[in-house]
Amino acid sequence: MIEATSLTKRYGAKTAVDSIDFAVRPGQVTGFLGPNGAGKSTTMRMIVGLDRPSAGRVLVNGKPYAEHAAPLREVGALLEAKAVHTGRSARNHLRSIAATHGIPRRRVDEVIDLTGLHSVAGKRVGGFSLGMGQRLGLAAALLGDPATLILDEPVNGLDPEGVLWVRGFVRQFAAQGRTVLLSSHLMSEMALTADHIIVLGKGRVIANATVAEIVGSTQTFVRVRSPRIDEVARRLTQPDVTVTSVDADVIEVRGLPADVIGDAALSVGVALHELTTVQGSLEDAYMNLTRDEVEYRTTVTPDAALAEGIAR
Amino acid sequence: MSTVTTTVPSVRASHQPVPDARLRFTGVLRSEWIKLTTLRSTLWAYAILVLVQVGMGVIFVLASDGFASAPGAANQAAVLPSTLGIMLGQLVISVLGVLVISGEYGTGQIRSSLTAVPKRLPVLWAKALVFGVTSFVVGLVAVFAAYAVTWPMLDARGVTSDISDPALWGSLVGGAGYLALIGLLAYFLGAVLRNTAGGIAAALGLLLVVPTVLSFIQADWITVIGQWLPGVVGQSLFLGSEIFEPWQAVLVMLGWIAVVAIPAAILLKRRDA
Repeated sequence: MIEATSLTKRYGAKTAVDSIDFAVRPGQVTGFLGPNGAGKSTTMRMIVGLDRPSAGRVLVNGKPYAEHAAPLREVGALLEAKAVHTGRSARNHLRSIAATHGIPRRRVDEVIDLTGLHSVAGKRVGGFSLGMGQRLGLAAALLGDPATLILDEPVNGLDPEGVLWVRGFVRQFAAQGRTVLLSSHLMSEMALTADHIIVLGKGRVIANATVAEIVGSTQTFVRVRSPRIDEVARRLTQPDVTVTSVDADVIEVRGLPADVIGDAALSVGVALHELTTVQGSLEDAYMNLTRDEVEYRTTVTPDAALAEGIAR
Repeated sequence: MSTVTTTVPSVRASHQPVPDARLRFTGVLRSEWIKLTTLRSTLWAYAILVLVQVGMGVIFVLASDGFASAPGAANQAAVLPSTLGIMLGQLVISVLGVLVISGEYGTGQIRSSLTAVPKRLPVLWAKALVFGVTSFVVGLVAVFAAYAVTWPMLDARGVTSDISDPALWGSLVGGAGYLALIGLLAYFLGAVLRNTAGGIAAALGLLLVVPTVLSFIQADWITVIGQWLPGVVGQSLFLGSEIFEPWQAVLVMLGWIAVVAIPAAILLKRRDA
């Protein structure tokens, strides 16, 4: 259980985290979503005391992280790959962390096996790939067999099998009644892994709900394709229905179910080549939510730039 | 590289993997010992320290003639070749002292260290203790090795020293103590600056540049300040001095260390890692 109350972090004039309140509950996977600079990493760093809050507080199982007798048993954190001295081997790095809490050697070997680091455990970390660094960070987070896992972009740099492994791992971890907070830029990954989502934008919580609720907030629409699409579109025009033309023979209809649209096409004698109900994705919901919150926006989309180049 | 576990293994083994694990200062000491001894830079620096100590002693004896051979003076004469290497060794130990802490900041290791020990200060003190004691022991090895190697060379010239003389072994132990203390001063400078280049510049500047600059200025009070600089005071630990008794020199050195260690501790508590 992680509880943040009016948690705030300011760097000079810039407010990275702006008085946020949230709770991360045990038994489920909670996802932290948000564009770059939204305050996800800063919030995670404040949970484990690496950054001092400018105001407010955050508690882990009822106490500030630093007040626990065995911090590594409370929280395992992977905040950045390679928070490791590059000249030390992976095993020695894990041994040095384990030693602080008197965690036995056997547990070090366990997490090495668990994260698939066995073949490189004796090698110096400086030569590790990003994915290997992530595995080592995960191994370090698991050393204390913690009640809570905090993972910042854990699948970043992992191969597909590694991604699958992390997903299965955190699901199982949460299923044991433990707490998981993870951030990811990959919305599709989040949809598969998380139960509950907290969306941050410009340092504020802009959504805090279950994945189902967030996805449900996006409208579904029906894609209709026909060689005589204009006739269909005209037939459908009525209040509360939005018809958007997306291609010469394709429209998107919001506000009517597919069967009504099919019947309407039949009534004007037009053949349909496609009639598809499109469910809103977490990605759509996320883009809608954060549309105004993106700090570093790409102003020219690649397509537009390309089209412009071709036009010249 | 592709050692991927395809089936999801059990998160918790049937037994409690870490039943009575908790954070203790002895554990932090063990952790710092592991960290110090598993880096090649540490081993290199200590090896160089011993080699320099022995090497400079040998060169000194070979290059000089006319050692005093009177019974009391022989013990006195044996001190210089055994401790001469400290002039170079102090630079090696200062660089290592900065590196043991600035290396953690440079690589990001500090965030792992402080996540495991979120109260932070135990890391600073444990690292100081482990580095200080290790450097003292290696310093002892270096100085006594230099003595052992130069003894027969001096003996052959009729300069026969006796290690059981407290003045002699006291100077040798003092030399090792100086190395440890100057290493700690550099360590805390590194902790304040959190940067390898800056830390080394500050430590070597205090040892080499400041005394030289002060010697250019002709004023009595500047001369007095010059006598209190750590590198100057520390020499009385092994070469003797008319100003400071050895115990006073130790106190002045500890004062220097405290002046840097206190801000290091306050900054470590306050700054974001």
